[in-house]
Amino acid sequence: MLNPYGNIFVFLIVGFGVVFATMVVVKIIAPHRPNPEKLISYECGERPIGPGWINFNARFYLIAILFIIFDVELILVFPVIANFRDYLLTGNGLLAFIEIFLFIAILFLGLIFAWENKYLEWLWAIRKRLRVDTGVLRIKDVIEEKSGVEEE
Amino acid sequence: MIEKLNIVNRLPEDPILTTVDRALNLVRANSLWYLLMGLACCSIELMQTGGPRSDIDRFGSLFRATPRQSDLMIVAGTITLKMASRLKLLYEQMADPKYVIAMGSCANCGGLFDLTYSVLRGVDKIIPVDVYVPGCPPRPEALTEGLIKIQEKVKKEKYFTK
Amino acid sequence: MEQHELIEKVKVTCQDSIVRIEEMPNDDVLVEIKKEEILSVMDILKNDPELKFSISNHLGVDNGENYAVIYNLYSYPFKHKITVKACLDHEHPEIDSVESIFQGMNWFERETYDLLGIKFTGHSNLKRLLLPPDWEGHPLRKDYVYPDFYNQIDNRRPDLCD
Repeated sequence: MLNPYGNIFVFLIVGFGVVFATMVVVKIIAPHRPNPEKLISYECGERPIGPGWINFNARFYLIAILFIIFDVELILVFPVIANFRDYLLTGNGLLAFIEIFLFIAILFLGLIFAWENKYLEWLWAIRKRLRVDTGVLRIKDVIEEKSGVEEE
Repeated sequence: MIEKLNIVNRLPEDPILTTVDRALNLVRANSLWYLLMGLACCSIELMQTGGPRSDIDRFGSLFRATPRQSDLMIVAGTITLKMASRLKLLYEQMADPKYVIAMGSCANCGGLFDLTYSVLRGVDKIIPVDVYVPGCPPRPEALTEGLIKIQEKVKKEKYFTK
Repeated sequence: MEQHELIEKVKVTCQDSIVRIEEMPNDDVLVEIKKEEILSVMDILKNDPELKFSISNHLGVDNGENYAVIYNLYSYPFKHKITVKACLDHEHPEIDSVESIFQGMNWFERETYDLLGIKFTGHSNLKRLLLPPDWEGHPLRKDYVYPDFYNQIDNRRPDLCD
């Protein structure tokens, strides 16, 4: 009836449709009763100090990218491992091994690059150095400075 | 959106609307996600209730670590006055409609710590409570019974009809 | 070292500061000292090569007419116990903090300050530990009057005579 890709296409459409329909139904019938307490950001019951919209350090972005590289690597390596027995039976085991080894080695070079350039160094060490050199402020001071600017 | 149309709890009793109400209530009653509010030793029983032996998940009740996703608060344990303001804030932050189970003697009335200086004498002093579960601490079966009572309450509620 | 040997040793090392020294049951020795000398006594008890005490507990007592602080010390190398006691006057209970000698006393002294209102001069962070920061009074004092309301929360104690 349908070719295999058609099945996947139907599956995708139904999947998106169900999610979208659920969200629309929720939007229509869910009660919406905001109050001042509900609108502040959630801090485990504490009253938050300062706004939630502060700048996060760009270093988190770098670490997230490194994580994604090795996360995606897992997906790409997995089919090779799943079919490794077939490779072995056809006599191409060493070929597959070398291929995947090279792939991981290239990614590992990326990690070494990041390591060498100190992208993995944690925030406090850098901040300590910066504070000594240039007098960078603590987060609390930044927040206070920001709220002061808004008042002006 | 429906609340803005001013039809909630205003329409007359009607077979179709009653069925819609019942369907909505069935959905809500079987997906009561509870906020983790383990304040003292009762929270061990709360964990046990969520665990595999007495498995509260089969009633569609999961634990949530944030009030934004939960509509049931199981207050498990002694509420000190220092915690009371935080508990009230967490209750306010929960999504409507919200329900509260007071679990154990301490949450019901102060329990063992009734005569101390810093313990709240019952969680109903600060937030409305739907079901009181007695016991010190209540067994998981008792808490499951409390959840079933909440489900019965939810199933009787009306949304569209008067 | 036996109990009486320990008493002799302590009498020799800190003779000026001792008010009273006597044997206690359970291999314990009670030393009552002048409150001004607490730091020097603690320093000797910790650093003397034949005593080498560590602190194991700290209490505050309201005797009605005066306050007292009690330090339980235990010597791990020589396995003897000593209890150091200092009496404070009722109007202004104040004593030097031993935090500079035993750092672990930080929270013990905060708790004693919280519940009894004994001020520890030289403490690095003398704030309330267990009770909310806006609490009034110190609940373990004998003349403490229990408040009926705390931040609009009904906190009346049940009447036991009913």
